Amino acid sequence: MRRAGHKREYDAREAREAYLLLAPFGVFFLLFVLYPIVRSVADSFTDYSLASRNWVGLKNYLRLFRDRAFLLSVRNTVLYAAGSIVPLMALGLGAALLVQRQSRVMFAARAALMTPYVTSLVAVSMVFLYLYDPTTGAFNKILSAVGLPRQQFLYDPSQALWCLVAMNIWKNFGYVMILYLAGLTGVPQSLLEAASLDGAGVRAKLVHIQLPHIRPVSYLLGTTLCVECFKTFEPVRLMTSGGPVNATTTITYQIYIRAFSEFKMGYASAMSVVLLAIVLAVTLVNLRLGHQLDDGGDEG
Amino acid sequence: MKFLRTALLLLLAAVALFPFFVMISVSLQTMPEVYSKSLLPSVPHWENYATAMHNGPWGRYLLNSLYVTVLSTGISLLINALTGYVFARMRFPWKKTLFTLVLIGMMIPTQVTLVPLFVLVKSLPLAGGNNILGQGGTGLVDTYAGLILPYIAGSFGVFLTRQFYRMFPRELDEAAKIDGCSRFGTFLRVYLPLSGSILASLAVLKFIGAWNEYSWPLVITNTGSGRITTVQLALTTFRNEGEIFWNQLMAATVVCTAAVLVVFVALQRHFVAGILAGSVKE
Repeated sequence: MRRAGHKREYDAREAREAYLLLAPFGVFFLLFVLYPIVRSVADSFTDYSLASRNWVGLKNYLRLFRDRAFLLSVRNTVLYAAGSIVPLMALGLGAALLVQRQSRVMFAARAALMTPYVTSLVAVSMVFLYLYDPTTGAFNKILSAVGLPRQQFLYDPSQALWCLVAMNIWKNFGYVMILYLAGLTGVPQSLLEAASLDGAGVRAKLVHIQLPHIRPVSYLLGTTLCVECFKTFEPVRLMTSGGPVNATTTITYQIYIRAFSEFKMGYASAMSVVLLAIVLAVTLVNLRLGHQLDDGGDEG
Repeated sequence: MKFLRTALLLLLAAVALFPFFVMISVSLQTMPEVYSKSLLPSVPHWENYATAMHNGPWGRYLLNSLYVTVLSTGISLLINALTGYVFARMRFPWKKTLFTLVLIGMMIPTQVTLVPLFVLVKSLPLAGGNNILGQGGTGLVDTYAGLILPYIAGSFGVFLTRQFYRMFPRELDEAAKIDGCSRFGTFLRVYLPLSGSILASLAVLKFIGAWNEYSWPLVITNTGSGRITTVQLALTTFRNEGEIFWNQLMAATVVCTAAVLVVFVALQRHFVAGILAGSVKE
């Protein structure tokens, strides 16, 4: 029945049925994922707008290098990612070490620490908009109460981006914690006990046993968090509109503004392609080094 | 040592929960109290919730969100599982290439394709007053279909179910074949009934994701009509007026967040399992 052993031969009937069963997903995927990507790349070489759609070659890309707002958005996005990732990983690992024991209390503690992660970015943005508000906000109420000077937070060009970074760390450290927890449970208990018998302290066990063991997790997290940071849109649109004076504008916000309020679809597409290139580069580096892409079609 | 651990854990939990505490507290304050020095209401003003819910057709917003979330979760779950099965169990040419495409699709941020996706949905032929060339009308803009269809193309679920089905013994397929099942029959009668745990995980992830979605509804919804406005979009309308009524805004935020937190607390195990299954390497 099945021609086992011949890797390159296929049962024609089975292949036909397979394609038929793939069709529902295939249609959606082609239409709503592949086509838009191809279209994005194609449009980036045109002056696509409400009125026209002519081929302009590399003009959009050349313009990107002279666009102050876009260059600022790249700078802001990189700062946002760089400022978020290390604290996120440190805080997430710390939290994982604190709640790794199996008990009912720890289960509840984990739920509490993950609450920010499951809450919508819109809701979180609204709450932090209040917390950061210079006149009525909770943070300034607390600062006044303990006698410290009140801050402008989102209205201060030198603080605004870091306010968003702080919110990002708060929102996502629960996710990091979950992945590290899974990594830590993989550390053989016997190894830790043997180390204890040899007189190794908490720090020695962390540095010499646990950290090396969870290196793949750190690695995966570095990539995922980097990509997530580069996609940041909601807080910028909802809390600062990219301001003050472009201090918090990000790549995705620039794409949104150019496409949906200025209707420069072609130019926005060029920005999208740049973002896509960055994200793919980050991911591919991870694939290459982390062997994440498995073999795909191995069995007969 | 134990004392230090407990203290640190309490501190961390306090930091994680403080914004939620403030959110609830402000939702129960009067506006003069919001402007005062205090962080707490003198007496809880529950009527803020009623006022906030009358700020717009909130019943409609909540139903819209529920409808879109349930429908997109349900449909994508079925299609994802079927596709995952085909990639896990069937042999056909170009399998490796096609699966790589699916994986690449998983990595593409939606923000990259937001513009062409909008143009596509607006200019689908013969929809929303469009002619056969997709011109003249508004296509699927401001319709449930336009809102839901792109969600179904997500390929994370394909990846997840394929991983899951690959662990099933092959004897299952052989036995079903001997009983006269087609491949689709095997999936439907053998694999699907055994998929409870993975589908629960995927469903929780998708439910929370769809409920919290903002970018795509923002682009595809004509907020003026309010026909398909979801709760996340509706939340942002409190800021449009001159003075922000923080108490009402926070009351509405509590309502939107409560729905998702209930699902999360009830199904925490499945949620965590889903996140982990999605990032585990082979």
